[in-house]
Amino acid sequence: MSPSDSSESVYESNFIPYINRWGRITSLLAVAFSFGPALTLLAIFDIVPPAGAIVGGFLSVAVTFGLIWFIEPISYYPVLGIPGTYMAFLSGNISNLRLPCAAAAQESADVDAGTPQGSIISTIAIAGSIFVNITILTVGVFALVPVFEALPEFGRNALESYLVPAIFGAIFAQFGRDYPKVAAVGLCIALAMTLLMEFGLLAFLPGVPLYAVIFVSVFGTIYAAKVMWENDMIEPDS
Amino acid sequence: MEWYSNTAVAPAYMDVANSNWLWISATPVVLMVLLQAGLFLRRAWKNGQEMGLSDDQLRSGLKTGVISAIGPAIAVLAAMLALIATIGGPVAWMRLSVIGSVAFELPAAEIGISQLGYGFGDDGITETAFATSVWTMTLGGIGWLLVVAVGTPHMEKARERIVGGRDTLLPIVTSGAMLGAFAYFVSGEITSGAPETGSAAVGGLVMLALLKLADERDVQWIREWALGSAMAVGLVVGMVVHAAAGGGW
Repeated sequence: MSPSDSSESVYESNFIPYINRWGRITSLLAVAFSFGPALTLLAIFDIVPPAGAIVGGFLSVAVTFGLIWFIEPISYYPVLGIPGTYMAFLSGNISNLRLPCAAAAQESADVDAGTPQGSIISTIAIAGSIFVNITILTVGVFALVPVFEALPEFGRNALESYLVPAIFGAIFAQFGRDYPKVAAVGLCIALAMTLLMEFGLLAFLPGVPLYAVIFVSVFGTIYAAKVMWENDMIEPDS
Repeated sequence: MEWYSNTAVAPAYMDVANSNWLWISATPVVLMVLLQAGLFLRRAWKNGQEMGLSDDQLRSGLKTGVISAIGPAIAVLAAMLALIATIGGPVAWMRLSVIGSVAFELPAAEIGISQLGYGFGDDGITETAFATSVWTMTLGGIGWLLVVAVGTPHMEKARERIVGGRDTLLPIVTSGAMLGAFAYFVSGEITSGAPETGSAAVGGLVMLALLKLADERDVQWIREWALGSAMAVGLVVGMVVHAAAGGGW
């Protein structure tokens, strides 16, 4: 057996089964533990949101991000590999943190992406990036919360009011950069739907009709993007 | 929205949002992320040696991962401030340590409180509205985890079946979905008033300018700090517009 055959078999029959087993266990436990704060609000503080609000909130998020739950793992899988997929989706910050760290580590350890050796190195690098990331977030949150609480009232209110729109604008611009025509159409659709709702013209729908605004915005924009793509009006992402 | 009027006290929900109980309840899931990284690291090291990787290569991989993470991880802190300001420290810490991206958590939080008719920055946001936000972020975030927990071993087959020769369509559908979603969030800000509109518009423009600069000069750290800078400038513009023109519409 040549060295590459044996390393292939260590990877396929030893490493990957371990990763799939513990990746699944840790991810499912994380799902369970992620309910901690919500259940604490319920059990310790007796804060019981109306069921309709929780269902409405979940449905609105599902309409907004539901497709992305599936598309993102499938899109990133070829670059992240199996171990990287478990780690990156549990810890987040994929494009800005995990992928650059994995790529840089493969470069410095002189292994090729897409090989078993490359996958081992990217696993090690992503694990290292997670330790750093969580350490910095933990130190940062303990430093930032007192700073925020010490701010004068108008400062806190300004942070609460005007950071959020800046972030929404910036992320919209970031995605719109590659597809400006899709961005323009999307903004027209979303603004029209929002105004319809503000003026009460969606009142014929049951509940708070936010979900309808989000649904039409998201799927209308996807449809517009698809039509433009079919008619060669947009360049595919390189 | 008149953010300075009638706000002699901080929103009542902030006491709950920054309470010790929430810190305690947020900790186990963060530990789970560390546990997974630790298990994977140990196993990759051991199997890597068996596969003929040298200790030098393994060490170099770990070192590079650690060093490369520092810049982007500090940049994430800037965005964390927005979450601390809206949903408090413990939930911000947990949501950004696990699954965590501001691009999901902030919209999910906003969708949560808007179920009860509020927007962040409004007066009198109730504890119930805050709890609805937490539930919405929690339920929305597990989507990715469940897909990954159940689907990763089958991802290769799923990819072939779904993508099957239409590789260029996938990024377009993703971008269309993100653009539609964020067009909706931006529209909500535009209809809130002039300061919000100014903040969103300038935040977008700063982002575009910095990403263009980063591409032209090929400088990675500009890219990492683009969102943080866009936030800072957008915040100032929001305050200035408010001071100059009031709430607008």
